[in-house]
Amino acid sequence: MATMTYLQAISDAMREEMRADERVFLMGEDIGTFGGAFKVTDGFIDEFGATRVMDTPLAESAIVGCAIGAAVEGLRPIAEMQFSDFVSCGFDQLVNVAGKTYYRMGLSVNITVRLPSGGGFSGGPYHSQNPEAWFMHAPGLKIVAPSTAEDAKGLLIAAVRDPNPVLFMEHKHLYRRVKGDVPAGTYETPFTARVARPGEDLTVIAYGAMVHTALEATADLGSVEVLDLRSLVPLDEEAILRSVRKTSKVVIVDEANSTCAAGAQVAALIAEQAFEDLDGPVVRVATPDIPIPFSPPLEQAVLPQVDDVREAVRELLEY
Amino acid sequence: MIDVTMPQMGVSVAEGTVVEWKKQVGDWIEADEIIASISTDKIDTDVESPATGRMAEIVVGVGDTVDVGTVMARIATDAKPGEPHVSENGAPPAPAAAAPAAAPAVSRPAAGARRYSPVVMRIAAEHGVDLDQVTGTGRGGRVSKKDVLAFIENGPAAEEPPMHIESPYRPDEPVAAKRRRPRLQRVEEAPAAAPAPAPAGDVPAGQPLSRMRQAIGTRMVQSLQTAATCTTIAEADMSRIEAARRAAKLSYLPFQARAVVETLLEFPALNATLEDDIHTVHRDAVHLGIAVSLGEGGLIVPVIRDAQDLSVEGLAKRIKDIATRARSNQLRPDEVSGGTFTITNPGGYGSLMATPVINLPQVGILDTEAVVKRPVVVTDELGNDSIAIRAMTYLCLGWDHRALDGAYAAQFLAALRKKLEAWPVA
Repeated sequence: MATMTYLQAISDAMREEMRADERVFLMGEDIGTFGGAFKVTDGFIDEFGATRVMDTPLAESAIVGCAIGAAVEGLRPIAEMQFSDFVSCGFDQLVNVAGKTYYRMGLSVNITVRLPSGGGFSGGPYHSQNPEAWFMHAPGLKIVAPSTAEDAKGLLIAAVRDPNPVLFMEHKHLYRRVKGDVPAGTYETPFTARVARPGEDLTVIAYGAMVHTALEATADLGSVEVLDLRSLVPLDEEAILRSVRKTSKVVIVDEANSTCAAGAQVAALIAEQAFEDLDGPVVRVATPDIPIPFSPPLEQAVLPQVDDVREAVRELLEY
Repeated sequence: MIDVTMPQMGVSVAEGTVVEWKKQVGDWIEADEIIASISTDKIDTDVESPATGRMAEIVVGVGDTVDVGTVMARIATDAKPGEPHVSENGAPPAPAAAAPAAAPAVSRPAAGARRYSPVVMRIAAEHGVDLDQVTGTGRGGRVSKKDVLAFIENGPAAEEPPMHIESPYRPDEPVAAKRRRPRLQRVEEAPAAAPAPAPAGDVPAGQPLSRMRQAIGTRMVQSLQTAATCTTIAEADMSRIEAARRAAKLSYLPFQARAVVETLLEFPALNATLEDDIHTVHRDAVHLGIAVSLGEGGLIVPVIRDAQDLSVEGLAKRIKDIATRARSNQLRPDEVSGGTFTITNPGGYGSLMATPVINLPQVGILDTEAVVKRPVVVTDELGNDSIAIRAMTYLCLGWDHRALDGAYAAQFLAALRKKLEAWPVA
């Protein structure tokens, strides 16, 4: 057990898994000699060599396509999108090839795509997005989004070992802000939700960076449960319903744009399957449907802040 | 200027009496806001404003009875909220009196209070909680899940008031010695300065009966003076109904109502009216009256028409619907007439027997009382007797000896009992 940042935990997961399994290799823009835009793969090329730490052209479609081919041939590629925003260039390969190959041809596409996502650091409209919902809508893809260092390592290893294509949403703003004890060696974190803090009166459902926002916002608001989804596909419906049945009130937080976000799916699930357990409206806090602004005050105004969540929770508690 | 007229409430109502004006001249009024309470010979109800504006004139005073269609008040629709208005003597009122702030807030006074969240309704149904009794601590007095759970835990209704099955008998509470006061002071002791017999102190001030109490009184006295009222009582084992109602999560009443409806079709002389020596017997349809208590306000008997077409669940729904609407003054006068038989159900408070008063011109009324666990002798299929604890109840049938005789009433009760005791349990 060692204390690591969220970023170090991701590096550690890849390093351990590459040491343990020769089939695992990395592809991405500037991940080799430069060590990655965020230095996640710093030093990897020295340990594993250029054949397992491959610098690629700035061509996300080619990166994902190559990874799919390698996976079909039996390898376990981990492809990095330098920023999750750029994944739109690889959209067709992910949605039409990776997600459908098993259904069409019975072939496992065991790829992991790392998507450094999220805002909060004035990255502007092209470097701050949370594109997970685009892929939630596409059958055949799994999507995970850790909020802690321990889960980042465990979920990434589980993603590499999962025979399906898995999108790994790693939140850039957590890279060096979140630290925690991380077990040594390799371990898998299941694709299920985690109760970040148990409570009785209200449930806040979140994932990624918003878990920390939710915890901070509700620290002194009585008995508020915070549920960290960890996995968006598959969605841990049982854990969501269990919590809502207990508390009867729910606030769902998305850093993504509001319409059709992961939280919208959670809200629909609750409305449909926990209607008779609700003691108030299902409340959502999310980013409005606009691009993320560069300007720090504007960005703060757009992204859900601690005070926004706090206000929503307080209102619902009083309802 | 828009006229507010005495509304037509059903075909049989010709006039109405103003009980209260909720808005006064000069008040700002939103469309559909309740502006007055009126009373007819059948029912009390509210009058909603036909328009938004300011009350310009009240034509019909409190206590006056006028024909349907008569102008009761006038509303100035060219007025604006918050604008000082000219009162009748022409003097502009103080700006505060315009009170526009109050108008939007009271436009829908009780809407929030009557809405419950799904979880509150589910818990209330599971525990038989009357949500009207629960104090809400949520926004605007809303009853939250916490409130209803606390009510079940601590509230006065912990013993399930609507239908309880425990013995209603309780040991007498030790009574603290009452501090007796002389009811009337002797005249010579009264201070000379108080010559008028003011109801100060010991004699409570008298209040005139409400219009509804007066109407109930007239009808009840008329019934007792007109009908040859007899009461026949039978006992029934409610064990199977108990099981069925638990499975269906309903009260006893819809099951009893369904059994009564079926039995009435076999004994139509009780499903009837008697007016001017004409006994009108309904053989195909039961229009079932259900007595609904309005608390201290009184009692009303809305009628479920064609109850024979309704299942137990259907009856439960209808009973709930009419009871809710009766308590919020939303019944139409036509819904409280035309009954052929009535059920009254005060057993929720633990009473065991009563002699119900017939709701004229009907000839029968069934009083259903508390279901109580009692030791009874039961006989198995081999004829062996044993003593068992069973959920028992008394069925008290009030009937009019002018229309039928005691044997018929007893046969009706026997058939009803048989139905209740043989109720199919899934």
